[in-house]
Amino acid sequence: MDEPVKDAPQTESLPSPVAAPSEEGRALMALAICAAGWAVPGLGHALQKMWGRALAVFLAVGALVILGAGMRGNVFTSRGEDAFATLGYFADLGSGSFYFLARAAESAGPDVSHSTGDYGTRFIATAGVLNLLAALHAYEAARGRKA
Amino acid sequence: MPAPTPVMHVPFTHLQSMLLFALIISLAFGTLGRRRPADRIRYAAWSFLLFMLVGIAIGWAMYPFSR
Repeated sequence: MDEPVKDAPQTESLPSPVAAPSEEGRALMALAICAAGWAVPGLGHALQKMWGRALAVFLAVGALVILGAGMRGNVFTSRGEDAFATLGYFADLGSGSFYFLARAAESAGPDVSHSTGDYGTRFIATAGVLNLLAALHAYEAARGRKA
Repeated sequence: MPAPTPVMHVPFTHLQSMLLFALIISLAFGTLGRRRPADRIRYAAWSFLLFMLVGIAIGWAMYPFSR
């Protein structure tokens, strides 16, 4: 006579209808969130429903870019003449799509002959670095680390 | 050919620029760095204060070399 089949272990072999993401999937998702956060400031946090942080990043980066361009700061291009210009380009590029907003808003070009223009250059560079920091923060949060 | 007129012009003094910079960055730091609203306000206020203090201190430290 056959032994009665126990049904308890069957639940472990069946796939769950809502499968938890694997570690690799989670890492990929975190990278995608990081890229989204870089491209559009605040989007990385918005995708994780961190609305306050998303709004703060969007407004801070946006304000810095708009004010920096309004102060006629230097928006560096990829054709930098020296290492500092190249570094400045990478910092500016950190603001993602807002980099192009700064380029468009500054139709008359930079004017760093006055202190206001020099401050504007720093505002735009800071916007980029702040956005990179926020994108990294969103990545850490997506990985489940304390953020 | 005349130079294109700027779309906008934001004339700020040194102090106004520094105040604005410190305010925006402090608010962003506070929101990113802390979770609870009370902690955020405290952290943002502390960052703002330090930004201003360090900025003014460096400004005075450079004063002898400015002339």
